[in-house]
Amino acid sequence: MMASGSSATLDAPVAARPIRLPRWSVGLFLLLPAVAFLVVFLVIPSLTLLSYSVLTQSAAGDVGLPFSVSGYGRLLLTPAYQRVTVLTLKIALLTSLFTALLAYPLAMVIAYGHSALSRLTMMLVVAPLVVSVVVRTYGWQLLLGSGPNGVVNWALGLFGLGQVSLQILYTEWAVVVASVHVFLPLMVLPIATSLSRISPSLNEAARMLGASAFRAFLRVTLPLSVPGLAVGLTIVFSLTAASYVTPQMLGGPRGLMLGILLEQQVTTVFDWPMGSAIATLMVVIALGAHIGVTWMLNRRRAAVPAAQGEA
Amino acid sequence: MTANPTDLALSGLTKSFGGTLAVDNVTLRISAGEMVALLGPSGCGKTTTLRMVAGLVQPTSGDVLIDGYRVTHIPVHRRNIGMLFQNYALFPHLTVAQNVAFGLQMRRVSRAEVASRVTTALRLVQLDPFAERLPSALSGGQQQRVALARAIVIEPSLLLLDEPLGALDKSLREAMQGEIRAIQKRLGITAVMVTHDQEEAMTMADRIVVMRGGVLEQVGTPEEVYSHPANRFVAGFLGASNFLRGSALGREGGEVVMRLDGGGLARVRAGAGPGGPLIAIRPEAVRLQPASAEAPVENGIPGTVEQVRYRGQSTHIHLRLDDGESFLAYLSNGDEAVPRQGFRPGDRMLASWSSASATMIADA
Repeated sequence: MMASGSSATLDAPVAARPIRLPRWSVGLFLLLPAVAFLVVFLVIPSLTLLSYSVLTQSAAGDVGLPFSVSGYGRLLLTPAYQRVTVLTLKIALLTSLFTALLAYPLAMVIAYGHSALSRLTMMLVVAPLVVSVVVRTYGWQLLLGSGPNGVVNWALGLFGLGQVSLQILYTEWAVVVASVHVFLPLMVLPIATSLSRISPSLNEAARMLGASAFRAFLRVTLPLSVPGLAVGLTIVFSLTAASYVTPQMLGGPRGLMLGILLEQQVTTVFDWPMGSAIATLMVVIALGAHIGVTWMLNRRRAAVPAAQGEA
Repeated sequence: MTANPTDLALSGLTKSFGGTLAVDNVTLRISAGEMVALLGPSGCGKTTTLRMVAGLVQPTSGDVLIDGYRVTHIPVHRRNIGMLFQNYALFPHLTVAQNVAFGLQMRRVSRAEVASRVTTALRLVQLDPFAERLPSALSGGQQQRVALARAIVIEPSLLLLDEPLGALDKSLREAMQGEIRAIQKRLGITAVMVTHDQEEAMTMADRIVVMRGGVLEQVGTPEEVYSHPANRFVAGFLGASNFLRGSALGREGGEVVMRLDGGGLARVRAGAGPGGPLIAIRPEAVRLQPASAEAPVENGIPGTVEQVRYRGQSTHIHLRLDDGESFLAYLSNGDEAVPRQGFRPGDRMLASWSSASATMIADA
């Protein structure tokens, strides 16, 4: 810095002082490009969409006044649409639960396993993310197809279960299976991070105090990994509830989710207020999952100081 | 809360990790109610030995016997052993009382009994007012006392301590050493501790086991190990020691007469061990006087003062012997009879000692 050379300024002619900006403004300038980008491409479109959901569409297709919440009304009150919302929540819930169940053993191998095994597991877990969603979903179509065309049913036939034909494809279960597959890494990674922060001596202490390996996991490892689990559940739940390609290709009519409904309303029916209402509901679901999990975490933390009052 | 004292035996205990022997054929008997310290530099196998007793590490060969029963293949959680960890290992999501109750709950003790035993245990470590706090709200010393309460409330047959006070500062560590020792004695629990701190081992343990490279170097009471070290390693690891090389000329009564390589004769008490070519003399046993005659003296060796360091309780005088070896003398500053003034670098001094304070040891 020039300004720090105070002795040099004594005999040097007084030069023009550089313009000094206040410290806080530097940060502001650095943020500006990203903020501008987000305002133009995220905030304004989101607000527009939100405003569409409470406006009416004329016969010509223009969206404008007067205000109306009929989109929300239809979405929340029509039984057919209610079923779509409930199915979306159900698929998201099942997917996050199954993902969590599958994720724990994998996360434990990554956190505690030998380094080679740990790295191999990590690679296998992350692998679905590097395959295009369309390719991956076609893969599941091949695997889950009904009759002898599906690999799963063909394999069952080999084991002498010849006539049994599982109808998985074009049901909500196909969506759950494929979603678990793709979102597994997003559950495994935060849980593995949480697990690796737990001191191994805690598990050893539990074992020495008489806990079997399973009880030590239930009483010590599991509660201490809840922060990672919460992150994983939030991400998987939100992403599943918002998914479009997977239910479109695997769900069929029995796997109709909000994302497909949104696409139909906007590109087929051209009902922008209804589409906007669906989009808003999807954002509310994602935010709700986040807020709900955060609230549960805080309540868990608050439970301990509350117990102090009893003593 | 009094434990039934049990004894512990290690028989040919061996552990190799991928071809390297961490613990090599350790056989040791620890009697009921005794506290034994495994002492040694890092990597000497003391922690692995402790973890094999705990059941956290499976031995490659050999056996662990508690009260005569072979427990080598009994899983950790059925061994009924209490353990203190260096980082306390308290469950951060449980309160102090819940931490202490954990082991009792695992044993399916009734709710009422858990409550009363937890209170008793916390009272023993004087932490009953902190029962409902989280461990993170306690100081390091308090946390280790909670860990102690948690370990003894299950009435373990053994108490294992893995560098339990390593993370505490000096004064707190000394207080905790006394507290743990007092509770261990009161309950009569057989205890094994691992430490690399020789002072801690000497303060707390009935017997010290010095280990190096997975092998037992010496087993004995703190006094035996300190004043009759078996070899150069033990003498150097427990406190400081001077070593003089010589050769035995013969026995005279209970003493061995040795000719020192640097000149002069020394009489050395015949040690418990096989002896060897070295004489070990503790610096605090050394007396200094101005060297007058150059004639060789018995139990003495001349040298030149190199450094004088005032250390509070004592003054450390570093001498350089004529053969180039260094020689250390600690002069007590509390003892008026010991002259400690007037030593200056370059002075010629005669360092001498009594036959009883010199030990013949192996050069290993």
